[in-house]
Amino acid sequence: MKFTVPGKKMKFKCLAVAIAVIACSSVANAHHSFALFDRSRITTLSGTVREWKWANPHTWLTVVVRKADGADEEWALVGSSPNMMSRWGWNAADIAVGDKVLVDIFPARDGKTIGALKTLFLPGGKVLADPAGAMGEALASGPATLPTKPEGVPYK
Amino acid sequence: MKPTPANAPRNDTARILRGGCCSLVALLLAVQPHHARAATAPQSKAVQAKAWREIASLPDFWQGTWQSVSPIADDFPTPPEYTNSALDYIKHYRPVEDSPFANCQPLGLPFVMNIGGMPMKFFQSPGMIALYIESSGMTRFIHTDGRKHSERPNPTYLGESIGYWEGDTLVVDSTGFVPETLFQLGKLDKSALAQGDPSPLSGVIFGKHGANLRLVERMRLADFKTLEIQTTIYDDTVFKRPYTLPSRRYIRGIERRNDPQEWACTDNRDYLDPTSGKLEYNSKDKAQNR
Repeated sequence: MKFTVPGKKMKFKCLAVAIAVIACSSVANAHHSFALFDRSRITTLSGTVREWKWANPHTWLTVVVRKADGADEEWALVGSSPNMMSRWGWNAADIAVGDKVLVDIFPARDGKTIGALKTLFLPGGKVLADPAGAMGEALASGPATLPTKPEGVPYK
Repeated sequence: MKPTPANAPRNDTARILRGGCCSLVALLLAVQPHHARAATAPQSKAVQAKAWREIASLPDFWQGTWQSVSPIADDFPTPPEYTNSALDYIKHYRPVEDSPFANCQPLGLPFVMNIGGMPMKFFQSPGMIALYIESSGMTRFIHTDGRKHSERPNPTYLGESIGYWEGDTLVVDSTGFVPETLFQLGKLDKSALAQGDPSPLSGVIFGKHGANLRLVERMRLADFKTLEIQTTIYDDTVFKRPYTLPSRRYIRGIERRNDPQEWACTDNRDYLDPTSGKLEYNSKDKAQNR
């Protein structure tokens, strides 16, 4: 996969893709909740994996986050289906209990410690994007671009 | 068939008439063309070989898998002619706040064809086309052996499907559905919706279909990469006349990542709260919604 094609042409392409994604984001949110999570906000969690459930209809990643005051907080993060994720490069064995991870999520609207997975940054440098919200074309052909670092507001 | 009513005539004439009818039915069955009879004995190798050769000349639905590129919800660009009871239902309809299918409850037809995210795959064998729909992990069995619908098909989520070719178009006629299949009967007017609602289900009117719901799908290749399916809904409890939806589009994927996968739905942490109508997260009882 190529991620770095500098120049104006690429910028335009990205913009076009972004517009298309927004316009067509209704295609593949298939089994997902639409009301539970705020997809206009991104929060970045840093924590330790407590549970990683590779199952349908959704994967679940439970992460323990140590807050600034020293208290531990459990976050339950819902992902897409293993079927969709495997087509975007995820593997059940990518994540193990005890792993330290950085993860971008769409937070719950009501402030609960739950979220929808957006991007996972693994200790070894592997970056995995959750396909929820992608267009049918992107689901059939794989992710177009991946962020290199977290994009959300750090949770403390 | 209805059971014989208690007051049915019991004289000889009636018996003779009944006997005559039975003979006529038997005769009609006997003169049906060969392909219209379901096989009751093993086919010879030669007959099977001929059937496979015929399959080879059909439009190529078979390579790779098909990924939906249409929105989940159907559009109703031409206002349907609703029955009075449907109009009354729509008048009092409260839109769903959240996805009614974020758990393991099967969708059934017609909505099972609307869910994208995962591909579907056609398989062909003499007398039957199978369509595996990964997003539900279910397979549609489409009989192409010339049979007619059962008189009283037992209700199922995918119904009883009979298929035949009209030129390059595969026509699939389905009936015999359980009442619980997810059914969209329309879309609310845009003015009734909250602005900026991100849900692809905003404005969708879900409701009950009638017991005699019948669907006729016309499936054809627009080109090698594109499959189009146009569905006509026959349900006189909802629509005064059959309603044809805009075609749905699917694109073909032939790489390994597009291979069909297992779908076993086992983890119900999401569940729809029946009191609030909202999707909730439930960590304690994962099986609550089964």
